[in-house]
Amino acid sequence: MKRHKRNVKSIASKIVLRIIMILFTIIFLFPLIWNLISSFKTNTEYLTNPYALPSALQLDNYIAAMEKANMASYFGNSVYVVLLATILLLLFAVPISYVLARYKFRGSKLIITIYMGCIFLQATYIMIPLFLQLKAINALNNLSALSLVYAVMQFPFTIFTLHGFISTLPSEYEEAARIDGASNFKILTRIVVPLCKPGISTVTMLAAMGFWNEYPLALVLLTDEAKKTLPIGLANLYEVQKYATDWGALFAGLIIVLIPTMIIYLFGQKYLLQGIGAGGLKG
Amino acid sequence: MTKKPKLFIAVCTLPALLLTIIFMLAPMCNAVYLSFTNSTALSVGSNSKFVFLDNYKYMFQDKLFILALQNTLKLMAVVPVITLFFSLIFAFILTQSKLKEKSFYRLIFFFPSIVSLTVVGIVWSFVFNPTKGILNHLLEILNLSSLQKAWLGDSKTALWCIAAALIWQAIGYYMVMHVAAIDGISSEVYEAAAIDGANSVQKFFLVTIPMLKNTIGITYVLSLSGTINLSFTLSNVMTAGGPNGASSVLLQYMYTQGMRNANYGYAMAIAMFTLAIAVILAVISRKMTGNKE
Repeated sequence: MKRHKRNVKSIASKIVLRIIMILFTIIFLFPLIWNLISSFKTNTEYLTNPYALPSALQLDNYIAAMEKANMASYFGNSVYVVLLATILLLLFAVPISYVLARYKFRGSKLIITIYMGCIFLQATYIMIPLFLQLKAINALNNLSALSLVYAVMQFPFTIFTLHGFISTLPSEYEEAARIDGASNFKILTRIVVPLCKPGISTVTMLAAMGFWNEYPLALVLLTDEAKKTLPIGLANLYEVQKYATDWGALFAGLIIVLIPTMIIYLFGQKYLLQGIGAGGLKG
Repeated sequence: MTKKPKLFIAVCTLPALLLTIIFMLAPMCNAVYLSFTNSTALSVGSNSKFVFLDNYKYMFQDKLFILALQNTLKLMAVVPVITLFFSLIFAFILTQSKLKEKSFYRLIFFFPSIVSLTVVGIVWSFVFNPTKGILNHLLEILNLSSLQKAWLGDSKTALWCIAAALIWQAIGYYMVMHVAAIDGISSEVYEAAAIDGANSVQKFFLVTIPMLKNTIGITYVLSLSGTINLSFTLSNVMTAGGPNGASSVLLQYMYTQGMRNANYGYAMAIAMFTLAIAVILAVISRKMTGNKE
């Protein structure tokens, strides 16, 4: 009898808990789903009732976003910046992380301390000096320059994390290869990098996600309409549409930004969540 | 160990170091230097005058700066506490409850934190939109039309709209951090508590919270500095600091002074002041939680 009572109680509390969690699921999803539904509506449909379902799944808004609202060019710029910045980041950060983890040399402790301290330094604080600096060398509105700045801003977290990761790896493989006469460069590319794949995947994913979403630096360093990345282009479109009340293309644009994020999230969830433990992503 | 390969070490470290100096340390030093000058768009470099602390003194006579400071402090007082509270509860539920669909909740709750902040800002502007907004619509359904208002256009509510968006996007992120920490608590502790007859609420307050003291200290600092930093994008996108500065925050005001008015010196003084707040708070919270890492 007593056991039966306890069972009823635990089932009841489970149901209450479930209701609470579903309620929060709705709070977390509703704004985004409402946005998704609105992106398929015509402007009249939206203006007459923003909460009704669209009469048909029409893609006019997406075509308008791509063609009229410049979304296609913003998208291309964003892809270029994310790819280049990620490649530059790995190219520079992996070798220094490896050397810092394996060799003690004059200044190596200082370098690690500097990168640790810089993890908290956000780009927003130095965006105006960076603007002045790039202006002086005529590198404003230059997507490659922006990519390089993005990569450098990601150095502290990436180097700190990879340095930690490599330090935990056994060095036997490297020593065996050295006895076989492999050069240091070969050891780095053929042995260390493959062993580091989980660590590299995590920092790459966090970095790429951050580059794709970045707003403050792009806002300051890109002023030319043709060079804007998606977050800046969208914020601009929102400003303009506030007065034009032609919302369709904006809703479509918001979804266009989210699609790559969702794809990366679904496939790379494991690496992403691991990286959070190490304190990555935005903040 | 073989002899140190000096050339290899140099080739690996120098490029990254050089870039760090050019694009991170030099701008940082320049920011400190600019904050002591009266540099503007017309007088950068040799034309500007060294004014020492004048910018810092002027800040406290500038009503708009004080407003931005107050708004930032309000957000810092409210946002981290609410964010951590919910994230801890969800982390507790995800690790301790027997719900089968736990991983589904984790997938959904975490998602807002990887959404571009620009998108977060725009989507939440539609939640608070006066005529088509989700919130006003909800109030109408609940027969509370009298409470409807132009949330982002009202100086009493604009800042709290930004706070809501900040909390919404951050909960899942800290939830994942706390899940990792709770997983580190040995299950024996919870079993012992269960044998002593503790219910879930007691387990949460008497086991989880005390055991996570150090982690919470760290996530609290992260959340404070995140609030200072992320409020810039949301304030800029959602309200541009308006109406009349009612929702401006420190870094947003720095941007307005620096990029709109081209007062580089003054803007950098604001930036350094903000950075100092973030650093000091981090040091204090670390001391308070007794974390000696």
